Amino acid sequence: MQDVQERTITGSTEIGQRVPVGTTDYNRIVEFLYEEASLLDQIRLKEWSARLAPDLVYTAPLRETRGMSHQAATFVRTVQHYHDDYRSVMGRIMRLTGTKSAWAEDPPSRTRRLVTNVLVHTTPNPEEFAVVSYLLVTRSRFNFDDHDLISAERHDLLRRDGDSFKLARREILLDQAVIGTPNLAIFL
Amino acid sequence: MLTKTSPTLADGTKIADLVMPDTREVRMRVLSDPEIYDLEMERIFGKIWLFLGHESEIPKAGDFVVRDMGSDSVIVSRDKEGQVHVMLNVCSHRGMRVSTLDGGNTQIHKCIYHGWAFRPNGDFIGSPVERECMHGKMTPKEQLGLKKARVTLYGGLVFATWNIDGPSFEEFLGDAKWYYDMLFCRSDKGMEVLGPPQRFVVRANWKAAGEQSAADGFHTLTLHRWLGEVGNYSKKGEGEGEGGDLSPEMYGVEISSPHGHALRCIDLARKIRRMTGLDPTELSVRQKLDALPPVGMTKDMVSQLYNNLSEEQLAVMTTMPPQVGGMFPNVLFGFVYIPQADGSVVGSLTMHAYVPRGPDKLEFVNWIFAEKDAPPELREKMLKQTIQLFGTSGMVEQDDSDTWPHMTLSAKGAMGRTMTLKYQACYETGAPKGWPGPGIVNEGFTKDDTQWHWWMYWRDLMTAEA
Repeated sequence: MQDVQERTITGSTEIGQRVPVGTTDYNRIVEFLYEEASLLDQIRLKEWSARLAPDLVYTAPLRETRGMSHQAATFVRTVQHYHDDYRSVMGRIMRLTGTKSAWAEDPPSRTRRLVTNVLVHTTPNPEEFAVVSYLLVTRSRFNFDDHDLISAERHDLLRRDGDSFKLARREILLDQAVIGTPNLAIFL
Repeated sequence: MLTKTSPTLADGTKIADLVMPDTREVRMRVLSDPEIYDLEMERIFGKIWLFLGHESEIPKAGDFVVRDMGSDSVIVSRDKEGQVHVMLNVCSHRGMRVSTLDGGNTQIHKCIYHGWAFRPNGDFIGSPVERECMHGKMTPKEQLGLKKARVTLYGGLVFATWNIDGPSFEEFLGDAKWYYDMLFCRSDKGMEVLGPPQRFVVRANWKAAGEQSAADGFHTLTLHRWLGEVGNYSKKGEGEGEGGDLSPEMYGVEISSPHGHALRCIDLARKIRRMTGLDPTELSVRQKLDALPPVGMTKDMVSQLYNNLSEEQLAVMTTMPPQVGGMFPNVLFGFVYIPQADGSVVGSLTMHAYVPRGPDKLEFVNWIFAEKDAPPELREKMLKQTIQLFGTSGMVEQDDSDTWPHMTLSAKGAMGRTMTLKYQACYETGAPKGWPGPGIVNEGFTKDDTQWHWWMYWRDLMTAEA
């Protein structure tokens, strides 16, 4: 099982030992992810932003359909869907909360962020953990009777902050080459 | 001139009557009617030049990407001689898609179904078990290639059409070319893509996006009001209005063409005044270019402009540069000067194609560009900024993609489909005195003229002799 994470694309983070499921650190990390999902679903964006590290890097690569022998090329990190940092994420939050004209989310989507399959590894920095999670967002808009579904694998770097954590890096590996929702006006 | 016929819909409505020149209205059923959509695929997307991407996406021999011409999938590939080809992604044998990928590199496109093989230029190579002649003895091999489109490269942009003997690309651009050259043919080395395009679906008729790209300035005032509230345009100079008022950005010159192309040339004087503290009318063309280089260029690159553009074009570029607009039928370009918090300006170069996916669905394809010799730190800034403002997560365009679906839904209503889109703010103010450029030119506050010309060309094509 140790090589599960090596198959995935982990960006620049060096991965150490697995933090076993059920340990204190693991449980706190899962709690962080659950709380975060809950804040975002309830559109408590300013409270969510308090959990972001000032050196945050927040990205979502493009996906391309490529043959079995060219799977590395399926992740595109030049042009991406999100290419943000702390300042730009705060700018997005300011637009959503501080204006009366952020129409993409006014009226807001009703979302449900389902977070599962959490695997945690240590990193060379004892205060930081590499966290992989699966994410399924159901997004209900207006009076439409179907949901937009956004499925992804997230690769996070969480930094210890007292009893909790700060999000220092998030890469969202979306499954769709053509995104099936009309915009990403929500955080993933 | 196109010969007019009067094609009619199943209920007896004449296509020509859907666009009403007397009152400058368009029947809303055009945004939802499947019969109209099918005709568009044939008469518009089957006939005219379509934008498919940029040659920098396929730099090496054998490189290919899979794109769409209307409702048809096509392969855009480069052969060993460096030529770019566009061919229908339909196997000449049994109609399987020859490529099921988004792109790659190969000298042989081999269909996975029965193994028929094609060169990057579409020519038929052969079928398996050559000695048993699986491809038959009726159609000669020369005729078994993939169906080829006619291709043009313009500033590296790839355009193709199924209309092999129709108008040239230059004729299609017409007078608008003089302006597009300022965007796509201004530098010595030209532009390149910064990566593959973003893609996402919007449940809207392609024309909801298409007509907006014909230089709709008005929607900015309301839909994109946040830009003035907290966004990049919220910091204003003295006497330039307050709060969310974006109306000072709405003055300039708008260009349209009988082929539905449109450009909004936006007044640069306030930006130059703010950057230099000087009166722009007192500055020479060169001084203005140095003070505020064209979007995506640096001061070092400015001298290249003189190799590629005329004096008249440079005069326009330094006073009223084209910043946003479209190419008929489904392309938007944005060459936008984005003010930064520190008072500087970062450019954003994008092009979108709104690919029709049925009467009520479009695929939004967003390419991001930079000049080939732009310095790395500028490219990085432009890339981040463009992603944050335009395309999938872009704070500007996320509002557009939530608007077009509602127009499309409105057009499905039994009553809604009989209502009209109105373009009655057509003012035909004419060109400013001494304006050196060609085309249909109207100065002043933004208006409906360009979008109206877009619809008139739609009508021309839909009613032309088949």
